[in-house]
Amino acid sequence: MILIRDKRIKPPKYLVDILRFRDQLSYVRLENGYVKIGALATPWDLSQSILHRDERFAGFRDVWSKFGTMSLRFMATIGGNIATATDFSDYLVLLHVYNASVRLRGVNGERVVPLEKLILERRKPDLKPGEIITEVLFPEPPVGASSAFEKFDRRSILVAGLANSASYIQLEGKRIIDVRISLDTTGLNRIPGRLRELEDYLKGREFSAELIEKAVEEVIPRSVAKYSDWWASGEYRLEMTKVSVKRSLLKACKRLGVV
Amino acid sequence: MRGLHRVKMRVNGRDYELEVPGHERLLDTLRYRLGFTGVKEGCGRGECGTCIVLVNGEPRNSCLTLTARLDGAEVTTIEGIAPPGKLHAIQVAFIETAGVQCGFCTPGFIMVAKALLDRNIDPSEEEIRNWLTSVLCRCGSYHLYIDAVKKASEYLKKGVVFIDERDVREKLHLRVVG
Ligand SMILES: Cc1cc2nc3c(=O)[nH]c(=O)nc-3n(C[C@H](O)[C@H](O)[C@H](O)COP(=O)(O)OP(=O)(O)OC[C@H]3O[C@@H](n4cnc5c(N)ncnc54)[C@H](O)[C@@H]3O)c2cc1C
Ligand code: FES
Ligand code: FES
Repeated sequence: MILIRDKRIKPPKYLVDILRFRDQLSYVRLENGYVKIGALATPWDLSQSILHRDERFAGFRDVWSKFGTMSLRFMATIGGNIATATDFSDYLVLLHVYNASVRLRGVNGERVVPLEKLILERRKPDLKPGEIITEVLFPEPPVGASSAFEKFDRRSILVAGLANSASYIQLEGKRIIDVRISLDTTGLNRIPGRLRELEDYLKGREFSAELIEKAVEEVIPRSVAKYSDWWASGEYRLEMTKVSVKRSLLKACKRLGVV
Repeated sequence: MRGLHRVKMRVNGRDYELEVPGHERLLDTLRYRLGFTGVKEGCGRGECGTCIVLVNGEPRNSCLTLTARLDGAEVTTIEGIAPPGKLHAIQVAFIETAGVQCGFCTPGFIMVAKALLDRNIDPSEEEIRNWLTSVLCRCGSYHLYIDAVKKASEYLKKGVVFIDERDVREKLHLRVVG
């Protein structure tokens, strides 16, 4: 609506109200080893579900606490957050570290597409005409895993974020069994993506704050590029991305009781 | 977006049958079609919260809500939170804490406070702060709004929901001028 009002996109010829399916599509379920979220679930719906009660999903609480304002948390949907497909889609950033996919349904049937393949360009998800996102799904994380999301900006709320990141980590003792890290954007394309080089660096090593510090300082400058605009320079964004990633990794580890 | 849509909705306890274009915002329906001018337009883009009303009990920025999709909905604005001649405990608490200056943001704050207190009659300060993020006040008396919600919670816990407007006036020595 805002993009239409600002004349940044043309008004559509037809408008289809999918919120009529809200009762059917606002669930959160654990089913056959998968976490399944109906596309019309709002942040409020998520806050009332297991996602806010179980430490394996702690990053969802972080996104919630930074998402828009309270009233918007009753209005925004997770499907809409993904379909918006920008570096400002906070749930999209978090869902990347859960290896999430979306279920798409249209007149020609159904398909399941991993998030990394869904977003073609900024504001351009791979949605065919007549197709909508009906569900987000990801493998249920094992016990001993947790996540965190960090949003950094000049204010704590009602901001898009200058350096947002999410981390997922699974530890055995202090050994890093699995780690996944995502950023609001890793390059100049301004769509969320994974930081695999940093993940590979950390995997299999013993966790320590020094390790995180060293890994982030070494890997991020060579594998991440940030844009400049009138809010902040690329250099500043990059510097704060390092801080954001360190914080989200440490926060996830703290949740596993090792910091 | 051409063509008119038939919408039946209940606003402040009264049923309305409307024909609206697909792009009409709830904010405009309430203010300009139905005359509920307690709903304010600050930014028109979801940021200021002065336009917040309750739709089926949930807080909603009416500037981002299309009326056409509200067939069958129940809408409450500041005008509908207390019967005629009475004030809701939240309104009274806002008057008594005297945080309001220009008052433009007040309906938004009161509707959000209502949504919160309907869910939790005894919220913590952290919860109150969290819910009040929904509205911006340019005059800036946020700390007094937090006090107001605490005060409203005290009223509600005692079972006091509506208070006679005349009693409030007398107690606070308020006179209606003109
Ligand atoms: C003031 C303000 C603050 C905000 N703050 C945040 C924030 O902190 N974090 C954040 O991540 N976002 C934020 N947003 C952005 C927005 O609210 C979210 O991205 C929200 O999740 C979008 O969901 P929606 O249901 O409102 O989608 P809409 O805005 O209704 O739709 C967005 C696009 O997605 C398409 N779409 C929606 N649902 C589907 C579906 N199921 N299948 C296919 N296509 C679909 C629509 O056609 C449209 O093109 C903010 C927005 C505002 C106005
Ligand atoms: S007018 Fe709706 S949020 Fe500002
Ligand atoms: S009292 Fe003036 S904007 Fe809040």
